[in-house]
Formats: sequence, C-alpha cells, structure tokens
Amino acid sequence: MVKSVLKLPMVLLASVCIVSCASTSQKVTTTADEHEQEDSLESFNRSMFEFNYQFDKYVLKPLAEGYRAITNQFIRDRVRGVFSNLREPLSAGNYILQAEPTASAKSLSRFVINSTLGLAGMFDVAEGWGLPKDRTGFNETFAKWCVPQGPFIVLPFLGPSTPRSAVGLAFEFVFDPVFWTTYHDANIHDKIAYSYAAAQAITLRESGLELLDDLERNSVDFYATMRSAYLQNQSKLRCFRDSEKEENTYDFDFGIEEEDAAFDEMETE
Amino acid sequence: MNKKFLSAVSAVLMLVSGMANAAEPNGEAALKFVRDVTTEGIEQIINANVSQAEKDKRFAKLFNEALDLDFIGQFVLGRNWRTATPEQRKEFISVYRQLNISTWSKRFDEFKGKNFVFHGTSPSNSKGQIFVNSTVPMDQGEPAKVVWRVREKGGKMKIVDIIIENVSLAITARNEYTAFIKNNPGGVDALIANLKTKI
Repeated sequence: MVKSVLKLPMVLLASVCIVSCASTSQKVTTTADEHEQEDSLESFNRSMFEFNYQFDKYVLKPLAEGYRAITNQFIRDRVRGVFSNLREPLSAGNYILQAEPTASAKSLSRFVINSTLGLAGMFDVAEGWGLPKDRTGFNETFAKWCVPQGPFIVLPFLGPSTPRSAVGLAFEFVFDPVFWTTYHDANIHDKIAYSYAAAQAITLRESGLELLDDLERNSVDFYATMRSAYLQNQSKLRCFRDSEKEENTYDFDFGIEEEDAAFDEMETE
Repeated sequence: MNKKFLSAVSAVLMLVSGMANAAEPNGEAALKFVRDVTTEGIEQIINANVSQAEKDKRFAKLFNEALDLDFIGQFVLGRNWRTATPEQRKEFISVYRQLNISTWSKRFDEFKGKNFVFHGTSPSNSKGQIFVNSTVPMDQGEPAKVVWRVREKGGKMKIVDIIIENVSLAITARNEYTAFIKNNPGGVDALIANLKTKI
C-alpha cells in the first residue's frame, strides 16, 4: 500500500518533467521583469491550488484550529520539538552529502543530546550548549549538486513545490526514522506512517495559522503571491560551483530612472 | 528618540551623503538609518504604553518617513505603470500606501520583545542603493534573515524594499499585481477597487 502511494507522485513528476523540464533554465535573474516567473503549468497549478485551498478550508485548517483549542503553547512547543528532533538524522545525513561535516556533526550531536537529556526532543538542551538548530534536506542537497529545480508545480495536499523539491520530499519520507523502523511490520506500518504524516501536517498548519490568514487577506491573487514567495525563497539555494560569485537574487534592477522624472512631475501638479 | 533627534540624524546623514558624492550610500550611515527606524518602531510604538489609536498614528508617521512608497508603488505596478493614467497612478499609490500601513501596523506587533541584530551592508547593482543585513531571533529555531534595501535620493535615505528569508516584498507584490491585472479585464482600476476592500 505504502509502496504504491509512494510510486504515484514519482510517476506524476516524471510525466510532468518530460513535458517541461527541458525548457527550464536556472540562471539567476537580475531584472525585475525577468522576475515575473515562468509558470508553464499555470492552469494545472491553479486548479490544484484551488483543490488544496478547499481541502485546507474544510479539513486541515479546522483540525489545526481544533488542535490549538485543546492544547496550550507549552504543549505545542514540546510536540514540535519531538518532530523536529526526529528530523535531525536526516539533516546530519544531508550535510554529509553536501560536504559539510561540521554541520553534520552538529545535527548528530543535537540528536543524541536532545533525544536523551532533552526527553525525546521535547526540550532543546543542545541549543543552550551552543548547538542551535539548523536543518537541511534533500532539496538543499540536490540544489548544491546543481540539479535544476524545474518548473513550479502545486502538488496535491503538499502545496507549492518543484520537481526537485518533490523528489526530495519523497526521499525524506523514505529515510524518515518512523518509516524504516516500522517497515518490517506491514500491519502497523501503514497506520503509524499515516498518523505520523497527519500529525505533522496538523502541527505545521497550526504554526502557520496567522501567517497564511494574513497573506490571504492582503492578497489580490493568493496563488500568484504564494508562487512568487515560494520561488524567491527557493532561489537562495545555490549550486556549489557558483556560490561565491553569484549576486543576491533579490538585487534586481530597481532603477526606474526615466519614469522617475514623469512621476515627480505628477507629484508636483 | 524624539523628533529633534531624528531631524539631527537626517541632517548628519545629508552632510555625510553630500561628502560621499552620492555614488553609493555610505554603509555606516545606511545601517544607522535602518537601526534608528527599527529602534524607534520597537521602543516608541510596540513597547510604548499608549492607546492603539496613538500607536497606529505613530506607525503611519514612521512608515511614511522611512519608506519611499511613491517609489515602491511605481515599481510594484511594473509595466502597467507605463500605461496607467495620471489619475490611476495617483489613486494606486494612495491606496497602496494605506493598505501597507494598516497591514504592517498589525504585523509589526509580532516583533514584540524582539530585536534586530545588524550585520553590516552589501552593495547593490542599482545606483544609489545599498542593502543593510539583519537577523531577528525567533522563538524556535534559527533566526530569520531580514535585509533592508536603502535608496538615497537628494541626500535623504529611504527604505525601498524589505527582504525576508530571500523573499522581496516588492517583487512579491509586483508579481501578484501583474498576475491580477493580466487575468482581469478591469485592469488597474479593478486592482485599485480590490485593494480598497482590504484597507
């Protein structure tokens, strides 16, 4: 069951990629007009975005609000700590793949310290010892290896993504300790894997309740806002070959000199 | 941090910038400018023991003084600025200004008990502009990266963009408004009408 569920997004991604991966470029944009992102799958994406929006409105958001109603901040922080701690080995492994042994050792130390003294991650003891949290994943690793991100794509339930990020997510799912420690027993495996995913989704959604409400309320095109913010955030991931000489992606050409004069005229009218 | 102090600061800034020949804003001056703005915001608004109405008033004033909303508004309309009529331009800037003040006045409250930590400046490819780098410690996990884009014009510094975790607010708004206008037969007028409902 789980295996087939896993295969589905891969197949989907592969077919999407065949259509549009060939035409994507990864160059860093410098002018503001180039920043109007390519979105070759826009009509599909908008439909999927709407589907996710409805799912969120009637299922995920009410669950997140319910979770908030029956817990307090202290409990939620402990829960988030446990989930975050379970992810440390993944960060440690990916830092190795990114040739960052020091960061990897830090993640691993955090995992050992917080799993024991921090009571399974409920308390971040390691941070107080000068080992602050610093997470990474397969998407960051692939980016470092210069794998192009591909076109923007909205995934069912998972939201804004790119093929690279989606493959990263699938890897993370498989390498998650909860996934492989229960793998030998098919009976309990599915139950645990799904509950775990659901619990993670609810806690994540709870932490974003205000932010997403705020963004939606102030936005005239919520899809365009999410796409823009997601892609800009992704563009901070650099390939190892050009990490030194590349300029900041947000340093777009902000000179509107010739129109400045026209505007000043208008102002003084 | 009172009015006198601020005007003294801007006087000094003008002098400094005059000497630097205005090719690129002075890094230290730009950093000081942003630090003063955030300090005033946190001390005089968020942590101040005054009514909400007074807070809103102070925020609007600080926002208008520190940010160049004419410049940002023109940028976020993108290519549609060129085709917009003078009336549309004026009305858009006005509505964009009001929307930003009301949105950020609410968002700003979340900085309660927090402080910006500054990490120097980075040069920009745009003339007369510079980036001021800062971080904000978060309750959980790593601090958030906040970069301020500062533009100097006529000896005065203004913030023209705020970049949070690599997401530029100016670009996000520009992409959003461009998409809206593209999909809307009403064009700029429809955008203005829609934004008005959000104030």
